[in-house]
Amino acid sequence: MGNRTKTQTIGWLFVLLSTVLITIFYFYPMLQALLLSFKSGMGNNLENVGFSNYKRLFSDPTFIAALKNTFIYLLFQVPLMIGLALVFSVLLNDPKLKFKGFFRIAIFLPAVTSLVAYSIIFKNLFAQDGIINKFLLSLSFVSEPVQWLTDPLLAKIVIILAITWRWTGYNMIFYLSGLQNIDRSIYEAAELDGANGFQIFTKITIPMLKPIILFTSITSTIGTLQIFDETMNITKGGPGNSTVSISQYIYNLSFKYTPDFGYAAAVSFVIVILIVFFSFLQFRVAGDRK
Amino acid sequence: MKRTLFIILIVSALFLVGCGNDSGNGKSKDNENTITAWAWDPKFNIAALELAEKAYDGEEEIELKVIENAQDDIISKLNTGLASGTLKGMPNIVLIEDYRAQSFLQSYPDVFYELTDYLNPEDFAEYKVTPTSLEGKMYGLPFDTGVTGLYVRTDILEEAGYTVEDFTNITWDEYIEMGKDIKEKTGKYMMTVDPGDLGTIRFMVQSAGEWYLDEDGQTPTLANNKALAESFRVYKTLITEKVAGIHTDWSQLLAGFNNGEVVSIAQGSWITPSVKAEESQAGLWAVVPIPRLDIPGGVNASNLGGSSFYVLNTDGKEKAAEFLSNTFGANEDFYQQLIEEVGAIGTYMPATTGEAYKEKDAFFQYQEIYADLTEWMEQIPPVNYGVHTYAMEDILIVEMQNYLNGQELEKVLENAQKQAESQ
Repeated sequence: MGNRTKTQTIGWLFVLLSTVLITIFYFYPMLQALLLSFKSGMGNNLENVGFSNYKRLFSDPTFIAALKNTFIYLLFQVPLMIGLALVFSVLLNDPKLKFKGFFRIAIFLPAVTSLVAYSIIFKNLFAQDGIINKFLLSLSFVSEPVQWLTDPLLAKIVIILAITWRWTGYNMIFYLSGLQNIDRSIYEAAELDGANGFQIFTKITIPMLKPIILFTSITSTIGTLQIFDETMNITKGGPGNSTVSISQYIYNLSFKYTPDFGYAAAVSFVIVILIVFFSFLQFRVAGDRK
Repeated sequence: MKRTLFIILIVSALFLVGCGNDSGNGKSKDNENTITAWAWDPKFNIAALELAEKAYDGEEEIELKVIENAQDDIISKLNTGLASGTLKGMPNIVLIEDYRAQSFLQSYPDVFYELTDYLNPEDFAEYKVTPTSLEGKMYGLPFDTGVTGLYVRTDILEEAGYTVEDFTNITWDEYIEMGKDIKEKTGKYMMTVDPGDLGTIRFMVQSAGEWYLDEDGQTPTLANNKALAESFRVYKTLITEKVAGIHTDWSQLLAGFNNGEVVSIAQGSWITPSVKAEESQAGLWAVVPIPRLDIPGGVNASNLGGSSFYVLNTDGKEKAAEFLSNTFGANEDFYQQLIEEVGAIGTYMPATTGEAYKEKDAFFQYQEIYADLTEWMEQIPPVNYGVHTYAMEDILIVEMQNYLNGQELEKVLENAQKQAESQ
């Protein structure tokens, strides 16, 4: 009995340590941020304003633009990236493929580059006198330089291309490891039964990878909702507000404009709510309901 | 056994935390004469500070430690640091852009050390005193001027049949008319603008003595603002008549004129070193006053950018203020060196009669550019930049896009006003 209490105490001590640390460094700041979101004012001159920050959100065109942009990124980029990552991983998992290691590294390598560094490279690639325009011009695909970064639609496309390039390899690695856990005999059985490649992919690979697809789509959704580095460095949110993201707006409110930390905190809680909502939704749609 | 290990772990963790504190305190007591300063641009602001350290001849011994940071980083560090309510880890002196000065002064009261006793406000260009003061007290030591100039390529003008005189003291419409002709003859853009940075609009508006905000520095005046409306019209005409090209970042702006693809540059005087960087163009440039807006009150002088030094209310503030006052606030010879060695034009008026200001610059066809720029500096209409420069500008950037895409001028400015008021 005494021995058991001892083990239990030690166990609780271990749990206690992480609980205390998480409370201090996660829950306490969250609570403070929530309280902060009910205040407003310049810099340190904050006053309690009740819900007016949250009311302001609905009539703030920049916030609405940021929300819209972030959703566009989410709707186009996450499925595109998940799809690509799946295709790449299945191709790379083919036992007959040569130079497998080379391809795997080539696709994964973008995921280890610095966010800022790759953003700046993308910005230069798509600049008016950048290499993409030079290439298109020299092959006479276009007669004058394409305004990649100053056209509202093209700028969004560049951002989506950039994030896809950066994160596809990262998600692919999860799928590859998932694929290696699928028993080869299932595939052999399917082949014996006369299933073609597409059927195998949709009927076996995807259902078997479902937990991993769920995991990657949730992490990608969270990542995309928080997108900051790319829009900040490639377009600075421009032209106009056509690429600004919610996180960038938070940054602008706190650091670019006269700081209003209260309103910035209110905007950041919108991201929290969105992330909780989407994660819940994805669990309901794709998760096991055990 | 496990428990002992655990305790050792905790104790060592606490010990590490303790160490961290110790070394933090130790540093500041390390040398009482050390003054730290945060600034950006090693070739300009930091070079000026280092020059000031050499020029300092006060009674107290001072050792200046300049820490280089990008301007954006200084802003976020100041905001996070000051908002936390502690001045630990903050420098003694910090450089702040004039457009942002009021935002910091009003957001963090009591954080900045009053400099009124250390300098004479009348010694500085008038337009520089407004942004550095709050409630009649001076908190900033005015540093460089962003007096605007129109830098022109004389050889291209001649090629198209124009002279420098044709571009001196003109209106923007005259500039656009001649620009169209030059564009046709040479195929070169007159200037380039960045759709994501309304610097051009900013100095146009100030050239007519107006701003985005009322004189109180708070109330937005975007609608019914003649200067702003006229600036918008000129900006759009520049682009639609293809007199102005587009650049999307700083390096493209520099490349434009350094490669000889652009005929003129309308920027602050701090662009001078960048123009001179292309040595093959020596003797081909001249500087004239910027074109004016064709409305009452429009003058051929304005300001773009420029910053000032601020002292934080920490230990060593007296020393830091003394250092600034002894150099930037009083030393005329120092300002001569500043021009000769750094190419920076200060806003300390007593120094402007010095020798260096009369230097004839071979790069600019032996024009006395510093004397000319200083003369224009005195004509800059003083405005209160207030607290919301960049928030206003982000609204205007969007509305400018709408205006360029065909919406009516009056409507876009009214929209902008509505958004500004809802903030």
